[in-house]
Amino acid sequence: MGTPLDEYPTLFRSEPMSLVQLFVPAEVAHDTVSELGELGNVQFKDLNPDVNPFQRSFIGEIRRVDEMARRVRFFSSQIEKEKDAIPVRPLYDSASLITVGPRAAQTMDELDVTLAEHETKLSQMNESYEVLSGRLRELVEARHVLRETAVFFERAEVNHSEIRTSFDDSSAPLLQHDDRENQFSASNIQFDLEFVTGVIERSRLPTFERVLWRVLRGNLYMNHTDIAEPFIDPATGASTYKNVFIIFAHGDALLAKIRKVAESMGGTLYPIDPNADKRVELLREVNVRIEDLDMVLYNTGSSRRTELVKIGESLMSWEDVVRKEKAIFETLNLFNYDVRRKTLIAEGWCPTRDITMIQLALRHATEESGTTVPPILHELRTTKTPPTFQRTNRFTEGFQTIMDSYGIATYEEVNPGLFAVITFPFIFAVMFGDIGHGTIIFLAALFMILQERKLARADLGEIFGMFFYGRYIILLMGIFSVYTGFIYNDIFSKTLHLFTSGWTFPEGNGTVVGTFNGHVYPFGLDPGWHGADNALIFTNSYKMKMSIVLGVIHMTFALCLQVPNHLRFKRPVDIYTNFIPQMLFLHSIFGYLVVCILYKWTVDWSQSPTSPPSLLTMLINMFLSPGTVDEGEQLYRGQPFVQVVLLLIAAVCVPWMLCVKPYLQWKEMRRVHDQGYVGIGQEANGRHGDLEGEEEGNGRAIVEEMDDEAHEEHDFGEVIIHQVIHTIEFCLGCISHTASYLRLWALSLAHAQLSEVLWDMTIANVLGVPGVIGIIMVLIVGALWFVFTVVILCIMEGLSAFLHALRLHWVEANSKHYEAGGYQFVPLDFAKLNEKD
Amino acid sequence: MEALFFNVDTGFLEGIVRGYRAGILTTGQYANLTQCETLDDVKTQLSSTDYGNFLAEEPSPISPSTIADKALKVLVDQFNFIKSNSVYPLNKFLEYMTYGYMIDNVILLITGTLHKRETKELLRRCHPLGWFDTMPALTVPTTTEELYESVLVETALADYFRDCISAKELDTLNIEIIRNTLYKAYLEDFASFCESIGGPTAEVMGRILAFEADRRTINITINSIGTAVSKEQRARLFPTIGRLFPAGNNALAKADDMDQVRAACDPIQEYRIFFEASGNGVPELLHDGESEDDDGFKMVAQIDDKFFTEEVNLNKQAFLQQFQYGVFYAYFKLKEQEIRNVTWIAECIAQEARDRIQDYIPIF
Repeated sequence: MGTPLDEYPTLFRSEPMSLVQLFVPAEVAHDTVSELGELGNVQFKDLNPDVNPFQRSFIGEIRRVDEMARRVRFFSSQIEKEKDAIPVRPLYDSASLITVGPRAAQTMDELDVTLAEHETKLSQMNESYEVLSGRLRELVEARHVLRETAVFFERAEVNHSEIRTSFDDSSAPLLQHDDRENQFSASNIQFDLEFVTGVIERSRLPTFERVLWRVLRGNLYMNHTDIAEPFIDPATGASTYKNVFIIFAHGDALLAKIRKVAESMGGTLYPIDPNADKRVELLREVNVRIEDLDMVLYNTGSSRRTELVKIGESLMSWEDVVRKEKAIFETLNLFNYDVRRKTLIAEGWCPTRDITMIQLALRHATEESGTTVPPILHELRTTKTPPTFQRTNRFTEGFQTIMDSYGIATYEEVNPGLFAVITFPFIFAVMFGDIGHGTIIFLAALFMILQERKLARADLGEIFGMFFYGRYIILLMGIFSVYTGFIYNDIFSKTLHLFTSGWTFPEGNGTVVGTFNGHVYPFGLDPGWHGADNALIFTNSYKMKMSIVLGVIHMTFALCLQVPNHLRFKRPVDIYTNFIPQMLFLHSIFGYLVVCILYKWTVDWSQSPTSPPSLLTMLINMFLSPGTVDEGEQLYRGQPFVQVVLLLIAAVCVPWMLCVKPYLQWKEMRRVHDQGYVGIGQEANGRHGDLEGEEEGNGRAIVEEMDDEAHEEHDFGEVIIHQVIHTIEFCLGCISHTASYLRLWALSLAHAQLSEVLWDMTIANVLGVPGVIGIIMVLIVGALWFVFTVVILCIMEGLSAFLHALRLHWVEANSKHYEAGGYQFVPLDFAKLNEKD
Repeated sequence: MEALFFNVDTGFLEGIVRGYRAGILTTGQYANLTQCETLDDVKTQLSSTDYGNFLAEEPSPISPSTIADKALKVLVDQFNFIKSNSVYPLNKFLEYMTYGYMIDNVILLITGTLHKRETKELLRRCHPLGWFDTMPALTVPTTTEELYESVLVETALADYFRDCISAKELDTLNIEIIRNTLYKAYLEDFASFCESIGGPTAEVMGRILAFEADRRTINITINSIGTAVSKEQRARLFPTIGRLFPAGNNALAKADDMDQVRAACDPIQEYRIFFEASGNGVPELLHDGESEDDDGFKMVAQIDDKFFTEEVNLNKQAFLQQFQYGVFYAYFKLKEQEIRNVTWIAECIAQEARDRIQDYIPIF
């Protein structure tokens, strides 16, 4: 509280927040919340955490909305299941339902009725459709049974005698048998055997067969054929395959058993006549009925479709309304509802800057609903920590997300997300430096940004959606990569000759030695280095040193961000006890190294009497043998003395960091203790601000806090442990983090080498080929080369460089200053309801 | 030793199950549930637990049986998930768990067929965990021999069934005997399997199965007093494991009335309290589907209840040890109890019997 508002919102610190209290008359409550939801600026607090969800005031409404939501889901699942896609009118295209104002209740009632009507109609249609298709399925099955068995019977006729003998019951009296034989020969189509025919699911067939065989002890003859086309369940759309079976057996008891088994296994029996003529007739009849049913089914299906199309027209707006209503009532349930006074009391966080907007919205809600009693907004004073809200836009959103996924900034802490906008793409580009590759990703990002509106609406899928979300990051990464590409003078592993090179190579075969011609290449790497034998030695040394320089600069910058935090949080002591010793420690070792690197670059070693000294050895010897520098290794005069001083400074910094802060705190505690403020002392300090506020007045209400953030008793042991860990972490971190920046060198080297290898393996081989064949080969291999460039060098290498840039920000930079102890501001926002689902 | 390699095969699943366990309703949640006015309240309340939106797609007037069905579906899904991710010996262990349900299903089907119930209805009532391919065919046979030879011979229950073939006709009494014989064989087999796994599994499961066996022994005794079952027949039905075996089993086999039963159980501290009659007849409740024989004995229901409480207690203890399969068994048994509890509460709300709503068995 009490922080002056900046004129414009900034990303430097999170927005100042206010705890506000709203007194909302019950009749405008719904419209108020709806208006605030559209605004998306208030995070409401739960004022009845002890109340069960089903005992809250608006549970009835929620339940009703839930029911409506269920219906809407039912519709969309029905629409999805429909084979031919049904047009669903998108939300931005459909007329919105007005659910605020005096007619709101009526609109909702009407919507409820409409939904219920549609549901009954649809389920009736579904039901009749199901019944009809069930009947159709039976008929189709019957037709299959008739057809398949007909085949079987025909074949049986041919092999009549054979079958007969094989099925003759040996125990049957011979005479009777003869009688029947005569009978058969007379009719010649009749069979003596009784049989059961039907249809069963193919997956169950083996079990069925096995059980039958065991139940009948093998006294059966079974035949079955596959039905080629699947049966589709109209309700679920699942397809099942079935088989026609025919089982011959003797005796009523056995047949009854077969029927029972078949029925219990889920088969359907279709009795057919052994007489061929009757079968043919039956088949004809079945065919006719199938045709009839087909007609009816088609009609039912098309009227169902019409219904669905009608639903599809307003489905999205219903879905939207239902979702919003649910959010509104869930929010209302968080409020304190005073039934006697017909008022709801709400508390919530909102950005201080937006209070006027909220007040406008409240007024608007009152006008809309046509009542005269407006909701009243109070600003409360509180000691609670407000949520962290970084006001982002399309551009900064991605960068902020990168930092938020590390941790949410403490309220009003310096936000590293702001600086990540430039440092992140830059550090990425140091590893990715290549004009060509940079241009490719720049163009890709540019395309996404130009198509932004269209793409934002479409469902892009997880992976492409992620790229789309980071389109501005990619854009900047592309631009910066082009820049570093110019510095490295690298375009698809080739060089650009923009200016006159400083090196002239004499004509000749074999190894030639370039001579310096007096030109100084004004920007970036001299193209003369390209293809030189010692190119790698040169770029390695150059990039390695550059990484160290950039790393130390980056860490120093991150360290400096502590200062605004210490000032804002009123702990100037931390500047002297943490920031200054840390700064000195870092710079007496690595700052010195950076200075040496820069100095070594400025010296023309070809003119110097001594050979260039190794900086690495210098740094190591600075620790191992302080005060002595070999004559040949000396970089400048007075070096031993300077190094000893620096080493002493670094050595002093360690106990400084370790002891001073705990000592000061201990002294402060002693002081308080000596004055007799035991325990309550801190309490008094805490209350002081409140009293001040009361005196100020300003018409602000003062809330008595139920101190859920009770002041912790300062535990001195904890302070010491914290400080020890902090010191050790920082000192060791300085070394390992500086080394960690060497990844800039490693990745940029790997990237350059990889793109060179790719070029050499593909295009370089075909460039020299003359004639038409040469052109064709260049085209084909060129396409191949381009695909590999995009896939391997841009996407894969890009992701790897991205990850390393992420790490350098999270670990190396954030650990220097970022507390990240806040919690995210999650306002009630209708616009974000969609994303949540 | 088991600690060394247990997590290689089972660590993930144990983690999952312990996570599931954390989702079992707590006393506080039960207290909230019992305050519900309508079943819709129950639905809202359950949606804030691990059950989540399992009732979201049900049209609004929901019935207790819908809740029970859906909750059972949650349990079955969890079980199948665990089972399909497990390797030997855990998958065998989980298979053993399903045998119990298979026995129940078999008995349900043959009893139902005996009483001429609709096959489809019977199949619908079968426990999904005890489902096997040839199960529907159980409605066909009319004698035990047929039953064995036509259907059960190829199932896992075949071994258990061998002792039952002596009974010829399928009548109510014989079915009861078949059930208990099957269970006896099943429990003994399961126990020996757990023993073969060894280590803490044997220890924990030994405790649970011993209790299960004793519970059956006592139940058989109580239910067979004064029926046509002879004492030798009764003795044959007792599982040969458990804490009552052998001395208690012998005494129970000879018992003629409740007092003798009590005397037989007296040596075991934990079982003694089961028989301490609390005077006022607590109404019988939470009748498991299996105990359909409602002959007399107010006490039986009461004892049944105490058995359930003790079972819950034992299953809870299973979670105290690590590197053993008992947690899997215990979790699903606890979840079953929880479903019974939720169904009971839902039934009480639906039938306006609020005075008895507290008679569920709290778990955690």
